[in-house]
Amino acid sequence: MQSKNVAYAILSVGAAGATLPIVTLAADYHHVHILAPSPIEAVGWYSEHLDCDPIADRGDVVRCADIEIVFVAQPTLGGTQGTGVNHIAFSFRDLSAKMEQLEAVGVRGSGVRLQRFEDGALYRDLAGLYQQGFIFDPWGTRIELIEDRDHLGFHHVHLSSVDPEATLAWYQNVLGGELTRLKGQIDGLLFDGVWLLVAQHESGSPAPTEGRTLDHLGFVVPDLAEASAEWDSQGVVVQDDSAPSRNDAQRGYLTGPDGVRLAVVEPGWVGVMIEQGEALAMRALEPYTVPLTPWGEPDLQGVWSGDAAHSIPLERPTAEEAEALTPEEAAARRERGTLNSIWGYEREWRDTTLGYAKSAPSRQVALVIDPPDGRLPPMTPKGEAFAAAERVDGGLPAGPEDLSTWVRCITRGLPRLMRAGVYNNGLQIVQGPGYVAVQKEMIHETRVIPTDGNRPHLGADLKQWLGDPRGYWDGDTLVVEVTNFNGKAPYLGAGEDMTLVERYTRIGPDTLEYQFTVDDPTIWVSPWTARFNFQKDDDQYELVEYACHEGNYGLTNILSGARATEQAADGDSNQ
Amino acid sequence: MQKARAPAILFMILALVAVTVSGQSLEIPRAWDDRPDLNGIWQAIGTAHWDIQDHPAGGGPPEMGAIGAIPPGQGVVVGNEIPYQPWALEQKQQNFENRYTEDPEIKCYLPGVPRATYLPYPFQILQGTNKIMMVYGFAEASRTIHMDKENPEPAPIDSWMGRSHGRWEGDTLVVDAAGFNGQSWFDRAGNFASDTLHVIERYTHLGRDALMYEATIEDPNVFTRPWTIRMPLYRRLEEGAQVLEFKCVEFTESMLYDHLRRQPTG
Repeated sequence: MQSKNVAYAILSVGAAGATLPIVTLAADYHHVHILAPSPIEAVGWYSEHLDCDPIADRGDVVRCADIEIVFVAQPTLGGTQGTGVNHIAFSFRDLSAKMEQLEAVGVRGSGVRLQRFEDGALYRDLAGLYQQGFIFDPWGTRIELIEDRDHLGFHHVHLSSVDPEATLAWYQNVLGGELTRLKGQIDGLLFDGVWLLVAQHESGSPAPTEGRTLDHLGFVVPDLAEASAEWDSQGVVVQDDSAPSRNDAQRGYLTGPDGVRLAVVEPGWVGVMIEQGEALAMRALEPYTVPLTPWGEPDLQGVWSGDAAHSIPLERPTAEEAEALTPEEAAARRERGTLNSIWGYEREWRDTTLGYAKSAPSRQVALVIDPPDGRLPPMTPKGEAFAAAERVDGGLPAGPEDLSTWVRCITRGLPRLMRAGVYNNGLQIVQGPGYVAVQKEMIHETRVIPTDGNRPHLGADLKQWLGDPRGYWDGDTLVVEVTNFNGKAPYLGAGEDMTLVERYTRIGPDTLEYQFTVDDPTIWVSPWTARFNFQKDDDQYELVEYACHEGNYGLTNILSGARATEQAADGDSNQ
Repeated sequence: MQKARAPAILFMILALVAVTVSGQSLEIPRAWDDRPDLNGIWQAIGTAHWDIQDHPAGGGPPEMGAIGAIPPGQGVVVGNEIPYQPWALEQKQQNFENRYTEDPEIKCYLPGVPRATYLPYPFQILQGTNKIMMVYGFAEASRTIHMDKENPEPAPIDSWMGRSHGRWEGDTLVVDAAGFNGQSWFDRAGNFASDTLHVIERYTHLGRDALMYEATIEDPNVFTRPWTIRMPLYRRLEEGAQVLEFKCVEFTESMLYDHLRRQPTG
């Protein structure tokens, strides 16, 4: 980690040939600062998957080549998506082997989220450069994996800028670095074996990194006071750091172009003192121990509410860049969803069921977590045809068959019935040895899932509305594979050919994570996965009997209304 | 309390001796807490779903021939008599006459208690830590039996399946069910109760693969005194047996909604 006190002469950058001023100061990368709820888990993840090394006595840091990644237990405003840091990159000797290994990890809990290319491939060859693939860490940091045998380990930071040339010039001016072309192809700054690259930001301006998963990049300078004076003369403002350092080395902050937050530290800086409250918070965030039933299986029993997840859209809205909504935005979204769904009902009735209070709305932007961009994979021609048919207004219903199976009180179908609606979002789980019963209040459907893991599916001719579930315990997670769907309540087109894989995991005393993977190759070119949480609600909530069919006046009224409308139209045309 | 306990224990010992003497095996499966283990798939065999009282064979819809006919059966009502108040007996007879349109079962309505137990479909018991769930094969019916509430709490709202509280009396699961909406029947013969129905059920092992099911029926607005039904429930022993889905709503749509369909023009 030696500094380079080298001044660079005027160099031309890129096709436009922007000029850079003379630099008298040079810095090196020091660290990448990532916000993760559990630093211990993050240290484990980066050590396991990206070959970084834990550091003895520093449970919140890993070293990846010469760069430290510092994890701080702090709530984040979301991942790197849309910020001025597009991704960080690690280089491996054998990318195909690495990607294969990561694909096998899966997305559950602190798993690996793969970002496939449009053709479904995990990695591709950039001619003359290297092979590349993309993943996300569990906290939303986009990571590029490449095969560049000249530079193994932590390889580069790729910024996203509205003006890449000016940004590159700024970094060289303020922090130094060797202006050179990566593989003779991409302009970048080389800081002690690690590159800083800058891509054109696709649209609009990048969101600030502060408070996002990748909060800032850290650089080391020999003497912060001296450097500050230098920056002062360049009009670059250094903010003092209020957090107490663990040693004498100082830290300050700069704001780079495109809202990228930069820390500048003195050599030997080893992080800030962790205050007692923060330390306690970290301990509270240590891995949760899932309780067991008296007969020794993970205990999922209780009453859970899906209310928090109501109104989370399946797909990420195209305009939404943030990884999480603010609490106010989340409340507004749920209210919009409520109003859109049941405009005819009294407010008192829709806000509560029998006087129960709803849990706070989720800030999750979208349910889909894989693909990581939150959008469903491309559809097959059959899928497109289904979607197109759904968009056609079928006119007045001739009979019950023209209405949804939910309106008909038959079923909401899977996986839809697990999702939250406006009301009656209770979920009751009762277990017996080798079985888990999952009951959804809406529209009173109970699924009994065998968990012994070695029972064959029903015969191929025995199909059911909700398919045939087969479960097993993967550690603390109940994994359920559902097949044998009768296809009469398709989910976005997926039906008879669908394999649904559900994962139920208690991730905290009051939180049940529910993930589902939909695989129907006749509808989408690749499987996709969504996730949301249920909140434990034993104390106040009790499922009521949602006797849907027995009180289905709605269906009678819809059909009789349709007939009356037709009769009136006939009368008009006969006059 | 201490004083009351001694005779109760003595009684249990005597009961055990009596059963052993009669040669019946008391080997029953035990759960984690040493309570009887009711986990499994169970089903009543017999014709109680047609008529809980003694009934001879009877005809059904003519076009259904022998398939639609009613098989004869010995009743499950202890003493065979249902002590209806006079108006209620008339109502029962009217129900019977209108059974092909008015029986909740024919409309795929939730079956209520105790009818869910002896419909000709299996049901599964999941004996959890503090709840017991019964999941029935008919119409997605289910009950959550609260084992963790000391005294029966009034149901927050009336329902088809009511609200159930359970407790153990020795090796018998006793379930107290109330909070019914009064729309359920007991069978296809039109036997019925009102929304003041109170059912006390007893589930007792007869060995590993059979239970004795007993339900005492109280409804002061319909009957002159409490009465009881009793029948065995048998474990489904087929390999891989499971309660299959019987979402019967779609099979009733023609009956319920045909008059609201668009008629072919012509």
